[in-house]
Amino acid sequence: MAETDHSRRTDSGHNIAGATPMKFISDLSFRIRALFQRQAAETDLDDELRSHLEHEVDKRVRAGAPSDAAIRDARAAFGGVERIKEETRESRGLNFIENLAQDIRYGLRMMVKTPSFTAVAVLTLALGIGANTAVFSLVNGVVLRPLPLPEPDRMVAMTGGEYTKGPFSFIRAQSRTMDVAAYADEAEFNWTGIDRPLRIAGASVSANYFSALGVAPEVGRTFQQGEDQPGADRVVILSHALWDHRFGRATNVIGNRILLEGVSREIIGVMPAGFRFPSTKAELWVPLHLDPKDIGDYWYSSYMPVIARLRPGTTIGQAQAELAALRKPMLAQFPYPLPADSWQKASLTSLQERIVGDEREKLLILLGAVGLLLLIACANVANLLLVRAATRQKEVAVRTALGAGRWRIMRQLITESVMLSVLGGTIGMGVAIYGLPALKSLLPADTPRLADVTVDGRVLLFVALLMVATGIVFGAAPAFGASKVDLTNSLKAGGQRGVAGGNHRLSKSLVVGEVAISVVLVIGAGLLVKSLWLLSNVDPGFRCETILTARITPDETFCEVAGRCQMFYSDLLGRIRALPGVTEVAAVNELPLGGGGEVLPVDIEAHPTRPGAHNHLLLEKLVTTDYLSTMGIPILKGRGLNELDTSAHSQWVVLVSKSTAELFWPGIDPVGQRIKVKFQDQWRTVVGVVGDVRESTMAVPLESYLEGVIYVAYGQQAVQGSGTEAPPAEMTLVMRTSQENSQIGAELTGIVAGVSHDVPVTHVEPLQGRIVESVAGPRSTALLFSFFSALALALGAVGIYGVISYSVEQRTREIGIRMALGARPGTIMRLIVGQGAKLAVGGVLVGVVSALALTRLMAGLLYGVGATDSLTFFGVELLLFLVAIAASYIPARRAMRVDPMTALRTE
Amino acid sequence: MANRNIELPQGTLDLLILRTLAAGPQHGWAISERVQEISSDVLRIQQGSLYPALHRLERRGWVKPRWGTSENNRRAKFYELTRSGRRQLELEKSLWRKLTTAVAQILDTI
Repeated sequence: MAETDHSRRTDSGHNIAGATPMKFISDLSFRIRALFQRQAAETDLDDELRSHLEHEVDKRVRAGAPSDAAIRDARAAFGGVERIKEETRESRGLNFIENLAQDIRYGLRMMVKTPSFTAVAVLTLALGIGANTAVFSLVNGVVLRPLPLPEPDRMVAMTGGEYTKGPFSFIRAQSRTMDVAAYADEAEFNWTGIDRPLRIAGASVSANYFSALGVAPEVGRTFQQGEDQPGADRVVILSHALWDHRFGRATNVIGNRILLEGVSREIIGVMPAGFRFPSTKAELWVPLHLDPKDIGDYWYSSYMPVIARLRPGTTIGQAQAELAALRKPMLAQFPYPLPADSWQKASLTSLQERIVGDEREKLLILLGAVGLLLLIACANVANLLLVRAATRQKEVAVRTALGAGRWRIMRQLITESVMLSVLGGTIGMGVAIYGLPALKSLLPADTPRLADVTVDGRVLLFVALLMVATGIVFGAAPAFGASKVDLTNSLKAGGQRGVAGGNHRLSKSLVVGEVAISVVLVIGAGLLVKSLWLLSNVDPGFRCETILTARITPDETFCEVAGRCQMFYSDLLGRIRALPGVTEVAAVNELPLGGGGEVLPVDIEAHPTRPGAHNHLLLEKLVTTDYLSTMGIPILKGRGLNELDTSAHSQWVVLVSKSTAELFWPGIDPVGQRIKVKFQDQWRTVVGVVGDVRESTMAVPLESYLEGVIYVAYGQQAVQGSGTEAPPAEMTLVMRTSQENSQIGAELTGIVAGVSHDVPVTHVEPLQGRIVESVAGPRSTALLFSFFSALALALGAVGIYGVISYSVEQRTREIGIRMALGARPGTIMRLIVGQGAKLAVGGVLVGVVSALALTRLMAGLLYGVGATDSLTFFGVELLLFLVAIAASYIPARRAMRVDPMTALRTE
Repeated sequence: MANRNIELPQGTLDLLILRTLAAGPQHGWAISERVQEISSDVLRIQQGSLYPALHRLERRGWVKPRWGTSENNRRAKFYELTRSGRRQLELEKSLWRKLTTAVAQILDTI
């Protein structure tokens, strides 16, 4: 019975593969032969049908009909030849491919025959699809592509606060669900003992870092368990790049020792090229120094990101539960208790999400913007097609009369649209691929995963789908309209442009839609630009003009000899101060606008901590005495720091920032109040209040977990500190020069070498650059968004122009009559421009309503301006309106010049 | 005689063509004439379905085309039943009989 079932089904002509394999193969070979012998098959079919007709005529003649009547009747009885041929071809099973080939050939002829139409449509689509290709490549590389690690979906990162070494070690030892690893962000190392000291970016990582990531070395080995403990940690792993350009890829490099930060380390391995965790800059990896005896560092000050690989068989939910359960025992380990709510919000997220971070939102918003841009492009091309449909009515009518079905005609028209979009898309994609490096360079250099942004299979697939979808989207409506023809009217000689009215309504709706989308995009751009402007004009709290900065980085061990660092810096600053062209010079542990500085847990006298909290967290800026005056940070109350504060046995003093003073001593004089660092014994007296400085970024004055900023004299710390309280060796010089673009930087290396050998000088750059860098992210977003919005606006204007000029062309006769009846050119002008204005008003209204809903999505990218900022909205409304009027003005002028006599004679 | 033609039920066209060709090779026009004649003008095959059907049967390998000369001395494309076409005809015939018997039973019983 199964066999019969098959036969039944094959019988109805739909299921071919359901037959036996043999049949299937013969069927396929038939189809293939048919495809290649298409011309022969076509002639054969023609002959066959003609033969049928001849026999029919013969029959009628035999029955006594005159031959001409016989021919006529036979033809009538036969029906539509085209349709029969069509259906026969269909049953031969090659119709689809053949039709497609035919449609494409025909489409190509049409494209060539109307070059200006083709050019405009293709360019518009190239713009839209190109922009989408480019932005999708970014989204794909940064957000979508899995991390280049084995089982990347098992990698997680801890959120809700970084961990110091103590709690990290505790969790690593206790966790059963995860292999927990940590790395210190953005470390740099001095490599000395070679001809010129080098400063190499690298990372301090826990011993199990590489095994948790699941990455094997190219040469040698990675760290073993225990190599992050004191005494066992004198090892280093090189990056492929460093191995390449410093050692010429010699494999015998393993076992060599290099001097990093004054510590001789044995090279034990080389990582493969392309391995770039935690950052693309990392050129070497050393083990973390996990020393519980260094209480401040181990428990309180060395905050690090923590990542983990889920152990086989465990879920992120189980790991999360375990992490929560470990929190209390972990807090119990601290020598000085932390607030009871510490790490309460600790949680796990995928490592990819952690790395991508805020880029996702930004990139998706950009993708949304280019998506809208493509919609505008589609609307424009659809409008062009509508206009052309009117001129092609006759052609469509002829084809319909010859028996082509409506679906067949629509398919032809949509094939043409898809061809346009494929052509435009290919050009756009080419430009996008070519321009991708330029686009990447527009993004801030610290954008995560930029190196992963390439054109891969997924991008190509996306573009291919986009091209087809685009072609169908803009082609469907015009094709639907054009395939519906009124045969009698269209075929009449000089037939009226019958369907224009209906299509014109569609055109107008398309233009209203375009204007609306432009409004949304331009408002978005306006909000971003306004944010950027506000952000760039934020007072950073210091004067950055003519200040040159440089990072001076003696080895970590340099300051262990008491007083050595103070000597080094006072000697160095003295030499620089003596240079012509330098007006002031000072040093600071970390510059503002980077969030840098020492994070200190402190007690504040007579000031209780928050309930449950055991100390306040402040950001400590260690500065030489001239720092405030060099930077132009004002002293608001009390005094600044002076030489006396750095001498031995002087009173321990501290300055606080204005908002710190307001937070802790509202309405009280802060001068004379006292602060104590948690694990030191000395109280420090507040002697002055200074202006607020943007420490974190231009948008964020201070990270939210910090309560304030204090300034401590570097000299004082250096003189009186000892052991664990040794001052930091690395400082940044700030030099106020007498002119912009000072050449001091070039001399600096020599001067530093004159004071002490083996001290690298790096990051010699104007302070202004730091401000620019701080707004690099918002600037690139604003720039790209504005660029896409400008394109959208231009396309919108072209859309309005197109529809109005077409309508002027249509109304030439009417305008002629009006003028003949005495209408003045001004009236005509108002008539036409008014038409454009009406479209604009409609579009602006729809656009503003949509923008009110959509700009909320970008609230996270805005600074100092609401998502519904009325000034921006009003400005954009006005702009769009003016653009609409300008776009209708050109066709309106043409209308004004209509000669009534000529106009009345047309058609 | 109004309404003397009845629509061919789905799937019967192939059966009729195969049966007509069982008597010997025939060209398209003659097939439709023959069916009309034998069915006393009740069944009439439209050209719009005849040629697609012939080409479909050819694709299945049930008929084989060959150009020849017709009784009118005109060039015509003759279709000849192949061996598998003959088998298919037997199958279709038995299925058709089963179907009509079953339908007749139902009509008579209920």
